[in-house]
Amino acid sequence: MTTTTNASFVLERRYSASPQRVYAAWSDPQAKRAWFVEGEGWDIQSFDIDFREGGTETSVYGFRRGEEVFGEKTVFSNETVFNEIVENERIVFTYSMARNGRRFSVSLATLEIKPADKGSRLIFTEHGAFFEGGDNVTMREQGWQELLGKLDTFLAKSA
Amino acid sequence: MTKRTTTHATFVIERAYEHAPAKVFAAYADLEKKSKWFGGPPEWEAEHTMDFQVGGREISRGGPPGGTVHKMDGTYWDIVENERIVFCYDLLLDATRISVSLGTTEIKPNGAGSTLIYTEQGVYLDGYDDAGQREDGTQQLLTQLGAFLST
Repeated sequence: MTTTTNASFVLERRYSASPQRVYAAWSDPQAKRAWFVEGEGWDIQSFDIDFREGGTETSVYGFRRGEEVFGEKTVFSNETVFNEIVENERIVFTYSMARNGRRFSVSLATLEIKPADKGSRLIFTEHGAFFEGGDNVTMREQGWQELLGKLDTFLAKSA
Repeated sequence: MTKRTTTHATFVIERAYEHAPAKVFAAYADLEKKSKWFGGPPEWEAEHTMDFQVGGREISRGGPPGGTVHKMDGTYWDIVENERIVFCYDLLLDATRISVSLGTTEIKPNGAGSTLIYTEQGVYLDGYDDAGQREDGTQQLLTQLGAFLST
């Protein structure tokens, strides 16, 4: 029997980088991989991105603590489709998360980048359908908080 | 230059149908059945294609003769037979994308019939003021579904 929870959250962050640089971190494959995919505890199996309206991004990664947390070898995959792209301003995309081939959420995300004093303001809004056996919205929000923090580190390092 | 703004909105509609979940689901899964209830007024010129599987695309295009073309262009992201459909679609008026929306349809057994719960979470783009039209339009479609199921 399926269960579904639909929920949304909004995150806002400031970066001392121009909107162009913040946007490039999302649109450039090497940059995106560096802050979004690479991380401690993950073995990246594949990362492919075709950044254009209607294009897709797929990442597959092994979770090193899989046995500990889920009792089995665990591979996550993220499949993303870019719905709308406005250069330096907005990206609307839809993405699903799956664990060991089983999809556990589908989300519609909107990223807005606005110029701000000394840099940019980023507004990230997610609307998600969270399925039985997977993340809940609080975990997803925390996950994105961490990712937006990693983006901050990446932008500061490559300034 | 277009002023870039977004508005976000979610609505939930619940309906009871005196038909089993499998019959309700079939009205979504089969294009011939779906075309009988899903769409605009009969006087609209319309076309409708559907590939009902995860990753499959559905396009519904129509409008009054000589008037604005309404195009729904979407992809299926999750299908659980007789239980759940998750679909993400763009709505376009002529060439302008006005929204991107995530639609979740859940069908639950309710005695001999079903309860259908439809949740739509959407982003409306660049000043397009929905003013409840999407929700009203969806209510209308679900009424049309009920009428079709009873034929």
